[in-house]
Amino acid sequence: MSDMSIKGRPHPASVVGTTFAWVAAALVATVCFFIIGFLVYQGSGAINWTFLTTDPQASLMAEQAGGIRVPFVGTAILILGSILVAFPLAIGAAVYLAEYMADDSWFTRTVRLGLEVLASVPSVVFGVFGLSVFTFSIFQGLSAQGAQGADTAFGRSFIVASIVMGIHILPFIIKVAEEAIRSVPKSLRQGALALGMTKWRTIRRVVLPSASPGIVTAVVLGMGLAAGDTAIVWLTLGGSINMAVDNWWNPSQWVEVLRGTGATLTTYVYFNSPAGEGNAPGMAFGAALVLIVLVLAFNLIAVYVGRRSANAGRR
Amino acid sequence: MILTGGPIPALRDEEHHPFAAAPKPKDRETPMSMTDPNDTASDTLPLRAQAIDLKDAVGRRSSDRIMPILLAAAAVISAGLVAFVVFFVAQKAWPTFVSEGHHFVTHGGWDGQIEGALSGAATIFFGAKPLILGTLYTTAGAVLVSLVLGLGCAIFIAELAPAWIRRPLETVVQLLAGIPSVVFGLVGLAVVVPFINNFILPGNAADVVTDIPLEGASMLAGILVLSFMILPFFVTVATDSLRAIPRSYIDGGLALGMTRWRTITRIQMPSAAPGLVAGLVLAAARGVGEAIALSMVAGAIAYVPNMNSGPLYFLLMPVRTMASAIVEIGGEAMNIPQVGSALFALAFLLLMISVVLSVIARWSFTLFNRRMGVVSGRKV
Repeated sequence: MSDMSIKGRPHPASVVGTTFAWVAAALVATVCFFIIGFLVYQGSGAINWTFLTTDPQASLMAEQAGGIRVPFVGTAILILGSILVAFPLAIGAAVYLAEYMADDSWFTRTVRLGLEVLASVPSVVFGVFGLSVFTFSIFQGLSAQGAQGADTAFGRSFIVASIVMGIHILPFIIKVAEEAIRSVPKSLRQGALALGMTKWRTIRRVVLPSASPGIVTAVVLGMGLAAGDTAIVWLTLGGSINMAVDNWWNPSQWVEVLRGTGATLTTYVYFNSPAGEGNAPGMAFGAALVLIVLVLAFNLIAVYVGRRSANAGRR
Repeated sequence: MILTGGPIPALRDEEHHPFAAAPKPKDRETPMSMTDPNDTASDTLPLRAQAIDLKDAVGRRSSDRIMPILLAAAAVISAGLVAFVVFFVAQKAWPTFVSEGHHFVTHGGWDGQIEGALSGAATIFFGAKPLILGTLYTTAGAVLVSLVLGLGCAIFIAELAPAWIRRPLETVVQLLAGIPSVVFGLVGLAVVVPFINNFILPGNAADVVTDIPLEGASMLAGILVLSFMILPFFVTVATDSLRAIPRSYIDGGLALGMTRWRTITRIQMPSAAPGLVAGLVLAAARGVGEAIALSMVAGAIAYVPNMNSGPLYFLLMPVRTMASAIVEIGGEAMNIPQVGSALFALAFLLLMISVVLSVIARWSFTLFNRRMGVVSGRKV
């Protein structure tokens, strides 16, 4: 590298700038490792089998505050639910954007702009939006009855939270999935078409299977987003720490569970943090550690699958 | 429709899909898009025409008729959702904007007003000025910090880092982007807030600033936490933008005797400027919408920081942002119509800021891509 000036001495601006870039990068990496290390340091003490397998109790005593089984299950339900909501729409939109749309029509531009704006909507806005929309009485099937009488719905349940979260993660999944579909080599499509396949058959039998690693990446990224969001869950899942029904593990209660309020790991952390009402920081750190392991695992899987598919495409 | 459009330019057109003999060819602007690059074997037009007609015939299966419509519906619904969200939020916010007028953004006293509304006061009016300023200050501060740090980090990743550091560092940046906001809030509350309280807050703070208790949970804490939350989004976009600058630009600079650093600051950064701006704007949009972490570390008091006691105390004063006000008050309180509408008014302001920022980001990206000679809005 030519850090030297013509005279052969290092250029001062060069040295300062380069050093700054190194320091900035080191600082960012340090902060990231510090956060993870701090969570491990503070949270690993709280984690044991009881913590993972008992339900939370509303108690000011840390010994009686119970564990994180309900929030953990809640996070799982929410992830699955939001993916169920988002996946069909996202794949459909991604296929349409990548395969059917002319690149420069006003229609394409409008749809893309809409998706970009949707991606930029803050999750807290989705939260109040969802809470308010789903209190309309026609949505009574999705959550418990409203407190004020029969003309409203409660507006807070796993179903509502899943729908709202699905909308929140939708544009991100579309974006990654569309890239994946676009990166399928043209020769594959040409081969399929040359064999007489119709366009849709080509997409279904050739393009989508080839793009599947990228689509998996998209879904896993969406799962990470759903697991990590707090604002939507806090507003549309009721901000409690337990399920609405006591024996929620009983399959006969599952419909009621889905229609009822609950907790996820994020709201559990928020609730138990010094900022919340539960005020059990030890529990909060334990749950945060579990949460971050979960979210980072999702992200690492996405990165790994993404890189593998990128390499496969290059070969 | 088949005979128009010369085959030669179409063959060079890499961006078009090879099998774009689409079900709806009339919608296409350029009929040439229906030529397959592998159609070169058919050197006479009638043969080509025959081949495509055959494909069209095969295409008339029910699934090939229905699927494009279903897929288009998915795309339109996905993109149309945002219109519904905007409309719904605006409609809910309307009563507040009508009754408060410009007082909503020019007057303060939010916390007391909400308390009054919750305890059933007869006349309620809302002033969200402290929340708006709180959002503005924290976001601007965080954008500044992440601009400086993130630019250094992006330059390092794109240009300076040895390969063995670059890959892991990129993963680290992605990890940072994946850390949930509540975790940022928790760590900020456990580390940053006590640190500010113990080491930065002067001992005689209570005598200097008398109207509000200063306890570490402050704008400064909010800015620090927020900047590391939005930094990865800026770094990712900035790194890509810097990398997209053609090697020949840099080689030209080096050939003229520029140092490596000078080519970065004088060639790469100016050329990548629209991309950098886009990244910064995206980061700002995330900062504006951040609710949970700021509600935990920034003090959660609707207070307008002032410079009366100097810039340090300005940073050490508590703030409450629009997004965190929504998440803190939202819920049961929204059953009171006025409170609900006031929260929706905040949500509407947030939404408008996000829309404007994302449109600016899109313009910047378009500008950047055009500058880089990329067609049809996609990076190569």
